[in-house]
Amino acid sequence: MLVGVLRWLLARIGSALLVAWVVATVVFFALRAAGGDPTEAILGGPGSQAGPEAVAAARAEYGLDRPLVVQYLNQLWRVLTFDLGDSYARRMPVAELLREQLPGTFLLAVVALAFAWVLALGIATATSSARPWVGGLLRGVEVVAAVVPHFWLGAVLILLFSTTLGWFPATSAGSDPAGLVLPTVTLAVPVAGFLGQLIHDSVAEAEAAPFAVSARARGGSAIGVLWRHSLRHGVLPAVSLSGWAFGSLLSGAVVVETLFGRPGLGRLLLDATLSRDVPVVIGAVLVVALAYVVVMAIVDLIERALDPRGSTPTAVVL
Amino acid sequence: MARQSLVALALAPVLLVAACSGGSTDSASPQDGGTLTYATGDAEPTCLDPHVGGNYPQALISTQYLEPLVGRAADGTILPWLARDWQVSDDGLTWDFTLADGVTFTDGTPFDADAVRVNIEHLQDPDTGSSTGYLAVQKVASVEAVDATHARFHLTEPDSALLESLSQQWTAIESPTGIERGTDANCAAPVGTGPFVVESWTPQQQVELVRNDDYAGLDPEADHDGAAYLDRIVWRFIPDAATRYAALRSGEVQMIDNPQPDAVKAAGQGGDITLIDAPRPGASNRIELNAAQAPFDDIRVREAFVRAADVDAGIETLFAGTVQRSSSALSSVEPDVYSDPDLFTADLDRANDLLDQAGWTERDADGYRTKDGARLTVRFPVSTNQSVAAEQSLFEQIQAGAKQAGFDVVLTPLDLSGWYAALGAHEYEAVSAPYTKVGPDVLRILYHSDGTVPAPSGYFANHAQLKDPALDDLLDRAVATADPDERADLYQQAQTIILDSYTVLPLYDQLNRFLVRDAEGVRTLNTVSTPTFLDARVLS
Amino acid sequence: MNGKVGTAVAAVIVGLILLAVVWPSLLAPGDPTAIDPLAAFTAPGPGHWLGTDESGRGLWTRVVHGAAASVGIGAAATGIGVGAGLVLGLTAGLGPRWLDAAIGRVIEVLFALPTLVLALLLVAVQGAGVRSSVLAVGVATAPGYARILRARVRTVAASGYVEAARIEGHGRGRVLLRHILPNTLWPLVSVATLGVGQAVVWVCALSFLGLGALPPSPEWGAMLNAGRLYLDSAWWLTVVPGTAITLTAASLTVLGRRIGRVAG
Repeated sequence: MLVGVLRWLLARIGSALLVAWVVATVVFFALRAAGGDPTEAILGGPGSQAGPEAVAAARAEYGLDRPLVVQYLNQLWRVLTFDLGDSYARRMPVAELLREQLPGTFLLAVVALAFAWVLALGIATATSSARPWVGGLLRGVEVVAAVVPHFWLGAVLILLFSTTLGWFPATSAGSDPAGLVLPTVTLAVPVAGFLGQLIHDSVAEAEAAPFAVSARARGGSAIGVLWRHSLRHGVLPAVSLSGWAFGSLLSGAVVVETLFGRPGLGRLLLDATLSRDVPVVIGAVLVVALAYVVVMAIVDLIERALDPRGSTPTAVVL
Repeated sequence: MARQSLVALALAPVLLVAACSGGSTDSASPQDGGTLTYATGDAEPTCLDPHVGGNYPQALISTQYLEPLVGRAADGTILPWLARDWQVSDDGLTWDFTLADGVTFTDGTPFDADAVRVNIEHLQDPDTGSSTGYLAVQKVASVEAVDATHARFHLTEPDSALLESLSQQWTAIESPTGIERGTDANCAAPVGTGPFVVESWTPQQQVELVRNDDYAGLDPEADHDGAAYLDRIVWRFIPDAATRYAALRSGEVQMIDNPQPDAVKAAGQGGDITLIDAPRPGASNRIELNAAQAPFDDIRVREAFVRAADVDAGIETLFAGTVQRSSSALSSVEPDVYSDPDLFTADLDRANDLLDQAGWTERDADGYRTKDGARLTVRFPVSTNQSVAAEQSLFEQIQAGAKQAGFDVVLTPLDLSGWYAALGAHEYEAVSAPYTKVGPDVLRILYHSDGTVPAPSGYFANHAQLKDPALDDLLDRAVATADPDERADLYQQAQTIILDSYTVLPLYDQLNRFLVRDAEGVRTLNTVSTPTFLDARVLS
Repeated sequence: MNGKVGTAVAAVIVGLILLAVVWPSLLAPGDPTAIDPLAAFTAPGPGHWLGTDESGRGLWTRVVHGAAASVGIGAAATGIGVGAGLVLGLTAGLGPRWLDAAIGRVIEVLFALPTLVLALLLVAVQGAGVRSSVLAVGVATAPGYARILRARVRTVAASGYVEAARIEGHGRGRVLLRHILPNTLWPLVSVATLGVGQAVVWVCALSFLGLGALPPSPEWGAMLNAGRLYLDSAWWLTVVPGTAITLTAASLTVLGRRIGRVAG
């Protein structure tokens, strides 16, 4: 048992290290290959007209005058020793920047995921007890919800609930509940649609099984059977894919934070990529990727708890 | 200084009572104190000290806490601010400034000639990494502190634009003690003499400013004496235009910048939102054609492009009738502006004629003109950061119009870094690059042949690649002369040459509009056209 | 009964869209890039039955001609994703244990990079435009296909009749061609169909960030993003391209799931 846990833990740590290495390498070379000189980010932005001495000073200070391979190895070493360095543009430690922006984005992602689950389960429950045509309609709604673009949904919600009705603010920051509503709903809807479809498919399979049929025949309510039996199997693929969904929520956060003017990791990443602020991009992507590894580990644990036989059907993943 | 603030304190209630009882008929009345929230759509500055780098978002916010040596009136006259008087020697190489007496920075350091010296040296120090401010004081060799209120500037060459350069936010005066803290501390909270003080900066979210109660009141265009009315300002960063406007309408913020055209139009039609329209100084918003390489090395082809690009109808519809067409290279707020609308009237026939004359007589299968097997291609990189959506749509219309004459305009949206990279590598035939600077000296930066020499970053300002000795001579003489009439005449001649060269297609002024709701007393500086909240009050 | 109606509707829509992709002039004979500034912001009605945009271009014409760009990008991206996923998945599923484990790690790492992050980096390197969008979405979706294919290949390879074929002495190549591939690729069609729908939506997000197709291409995501700015004055500028995107992606989803159920 202990050996098993140790092996699992080692595998996870191994994943994390591999991810960190790939991220650092990909980002480092990608941003180098992108147009734009890193010294510009240091000297106040692109198109800088700073004099030659200023440029030379900046290069020396940030080690940009050394050969590319040396810079790359330095970067790797720093990542391994958890030294994320200083932002080129903002002259403050990357770690501090990330610490400030992380909570906002994770709050958004977690609340959105929770809300998506509530929505998806709610629709599943409603479908099982309602008439077939209502069920069909709800499933159609799920399909549409899964493909709605974030920025469009957000803009419509702002127009409706902020400008017209005045119920919620258009911009927000931090954990103010009223300000969280519109951004999290925008993030949650596509995920709810996706999870909902998954749950429906597996629930349909489970409901057709002999146990469920006979339970209903004995007079059990549809909802009761759903919650006591079918859902336990039905949610398995959705649980496995919640890990992936979390990753997609972080992607969506880039759009949602920009749209709603919320500070966060997504916006930080976008700005840093556009200004070629290499240390910040590496730091932010590392955080996101490692968070994903952690979430996948948690999902793995939940999967084993829910279904020790390990017979989770492979679901569609995109 | 103490006497000044006593007077201010005594006067303030009188003025307030007068203002309030002067009375408006609507229920909203201006409050003393309170917080004004401003939402900007411009990029968040990476450093709040405008000496570092030097862009417009920095100027916007530093207007609240830093003051320049001189100001400017609407008609272009230079006004005293932190410097009360000035004199220039006959050879133009020595400038003597008399400074205001008894003024202190908000950290207690006295404002004196030595502080001015420290500031200029800060701008010229490579470690500061100054871009705009550095260029502005390029001809200053040294500053001598003759006594506490007397600073003497020693120049390497005469500079008729010195006062205009010193009126900008990028050369504004900071506390020497503040500068000594080092770049990191100074970037987080620069110390100045302005009506507000930086209290805190939460990156990506907001900067909080509080009132400077000991404000010396030297702003030459202030509506009242003494300190500001507002207790605090919250400066928020909201990149999306639609969300920003929604926040204004819902009362989350009282003022926004970069509004969309339909929001501007709605404000003009009455209601509780007012419009402030303050075009930026310097160049107009224009498209420049690269005269250094084919096909625009031929003036006939340049004129053909200008004649084929019919922008008037597009400007009217895309900007909802809120923007005026410009026919000059300079902003309309510059007194020396010269326009020539006849050069730019749309004329597709003339465009086709010119292209035939220039040898582009064949067309390929897609309808674009060719010559010796090469297609008439115009690469036009567009900066998505600097061009608003309506402007990008305008470029699409220009693309369609030019296609009728046989031009293949390739629009490439790029982020700022990629855009500067493309320009630095000369991978463009047309580009729209705004340039903000106080005074007509901007023409020298943009159109003198020196402007084709790149900075270490690869950046050069003369995108039109104009290398005309006659033009260079005019611009050199204009910056050296001390006679204002001669200066104005030289700049008129220079602008004639620039416009006649057809390397510039003027569109409109650099748009700088603000929408205000539930607040009054906001005005813009006549230097860099940034709003100041010295006289502002929120309405309850 | 409901399912059949839904599938039929979806099939018709997808058919129309395919027609728009290969022969747009049949459905909309006009020029999607012809500007007419004086006719800008016309509401839907006679003359322009879906209205005009900010440059006076008819929305019906632009949406029809934009199908090639939008759906084309989605299809190309999915093609890249499926192709890469196929290579990875087949190698992992059929190869030795250690190769399977190694590729499994690679897939996991690729998963850890959210799609938009990868897209941002790629666009930063390559500049905006169709090529970057296609590559970005393709690379980002490849691990998903790889994972499905690997699981499927392993299942099929371990199945009874493949065992039987091997025992009968058939060569590995023949087993691959006759048994493994056919049973693996059919479900792939279903997944890929779903994928095209998702890819269209991803490209949309890139357009919002200003990193999508180049003007004046009538790509739906770019149209939607431009129209968003006029949301309360010219609602048709968002509703029309938004409906196009949603209808396309939704129809592809329904069709894909139907194919998936048939393929078993």
